[in-house]
Amino acid sequence: MLEAHKISYAQRKFTILENINFSVDYGELLVIVGPNGAGKSTLLNLLANEVKHKDESVLFKNKTFEQWDEKELAHHKAKFSQSNNQDIPLLVKDVVIMGRYPYFNSTPHKEDMDAVQKAMEETDVAPLAQRNYNSLSGGEKQRVHLARVLAQLDNNVAHRLVFLDEPLNNLDVLHQHRILHTIKNFTGRGNTAIMVLHDLNLAAQFADKVLLLKNGEIVSHGIPDEVFTRETISKAYNFPCIICPNPVNQNPLIIFGT
Amino acid sequence: MQNKLSIYMLTSVLLLIGLAAISLYVGVYAFEKYSFTELVRGLFSNDGTITESDRFVLLGLRLPRIAMAILIGSALAVSGTCLQGMFKNPLATPDLIGITSGALMFAAITIVLGSSIKPYIPQLLHFSLLSIMSFIGALLTMIMVYRISTNKGKTNVIIMLLSGVAITAMGFAVTGFLTYISDDDQLRDLAFWNLGSLSDASWTKNAILAVIITISYFFLINKGKALNAMMLGEKDAEHLGIPVERIKKQIVLFTALMVGASVAFAGNIGFVGLIVPYILRLIFKSNYNIILPLSAVLGSVLLLSADTISRTIAPPTEVPIGILTAFMGAPIFIIILIKNKKSM
Repeated sequence: MLEAHKISYAQRKFTILENINFSVDYGELLVIVGPNGAGKSTLLNLLANEVKHKDESVLFKNKTFEQWDEKELAHHKAKFSQSNNQDIPLLVKDVVIMGRYPYFNSTPHKEDMDAVQKAMEETDVAPLAQRNYNSLSGGEKQRVHLARVLAQLDNNVAHRLVFLDEPLNNLDVLHQHRILHTIKNFTGRGNTAIMVLHDLNLAAQFADKVLLLKNGEIVSHGIPDEVFTRETISKAYNFPCIICPNPVNQNPLIIFGT
Repeated sequence: MQNKLSIYMLTSVLLLIGLAAISLYVGVYAFEKYSFTELVRGLFSNDGTITESDRFVLLGLRLPRIAMAILIGSALAVSGTCLQGMFKNPLATPDLIGITSGALMFAAITIVLGSSIKPYIPQLLHFSLLSIMSFIGALLTMIMVYRISTNKGKTNVIIMLLSGVAITAMGFAVTGFLTYISDDDQLRDLAFWNLGSLSDASWTKNAILAVIITISYFFLINKGKALNAMMLGEKDAEHLGIPVERIKKQIVLFTALMVGASVAFAGNIGFVGLIVPYILRLIFKSNYNIILPLSAVLGSVLLLSADTISRTIAPPTEVPIGILTAFMGAPIFIIILIKNKKSM
């Protein structure tokens, strides 16, 4: 699906990422975790082609992003970004419709409107459709953009890829879990998701694989049981923790400060 | 939604046609003695329905002027809307950020210094020289303002407006200096350009304007989706398959072309690019899918009304049209400032 070869990135001689190698498979939900400043968002931006680079360091479906047609690419991958503090004087539904822009020229078709409606119901923003985007709370705005991203990838392409940069910020517990279930559903159908998360317990519960970053390097990469060990996590976060099996679902349960 | 757009579009086109018909009648030189059908028949068939001198006033003076108001009003409004989308701010209009002044400065230099080479070039090139120089002036200032005020797709509004102030001051100095070294004819031209007027309309100029506007609209008028998506931020727009860099280059090039041509033929007519999108935003929010095509028609409506008033309000003289558009535009400028106080 997506392969990263020797990704290094520096800004003004200050190394942010160093020699990152990994690949993601079809149907995999990969969660990137790590302390502040580890380079998680930068890595996601590089993987999602926001920073232009000419070498073949990132291969998406065995092609570099340069070899893709930009319109076509928008049917295969989408990204949810963190900076949602933009001033957007539009109705909520008009923001979600933007997710369908790669699919119609001037008038949205019926399947576009259906995709918009479905995505808004999935993220619980359908009742807000006629509200002004700017009047929403932070968590609501967040869900509007998630709906937009879901609407963008509502198509028949096999093996789609979604990038999510901290999608659960500002969300209450119910919506955190709803969003994660939606994404789990998405990857269950052969699609891939790469997501930056801060909550290690949610990562342990939902991720197929976890990538632990620190200081721009991969500390550990594997299934949650391999990555979430007491020694690795305490060292990476520089904070003591214990890890025990979650009594409900047997996933690793991380308890900090003990 | 698209159906609604066609209805609004149709309504505003009808409004424009009605206004043009009214504008044809009113003026210092009146045609009340003819009915509308008589006028139209007289114009097309020349069968003596209307007198020769009436025919001349209509065909040679009034009609080209109406056509020019329609063309320039539309061009200025669309330029304003596109720039506002690119800078992501309702204050980004050709006049406020200094693009008009840049074009004006180059036009003034061409008028005064170009007169030495005027006799050696043919009449048609003559018009073109002025338009080309205004276009270059508009393009250079636009690139400069964008480079100064925008970093990584984010515009600093204060810097954007202040670079407009700086360029306007520069233009003021240059034109002020030029008035001291120009002869009477050139002085009259300079005053004309500074105040802005449609009184020099001709069919040649309208033809050039029509060509420029047609080409520009071919590239710009369908950019509503792209401008909407750019509100998300340029990176997010790219994830939606929008070629942001290419679109920004097209906007810079074609708005410079339209503003340059407008300035070359009608001088400094301000605020059209501010007023029209402002009114449309009150009704349709910032949905560029709707306001971009509608601004093309409503720009014409605004400038044609302003020009008709400018011809008729104080007969037998004309009030410069720039004064009228400023009367409407300046209060709107202040309203937008107050609304944006927090975000600046």
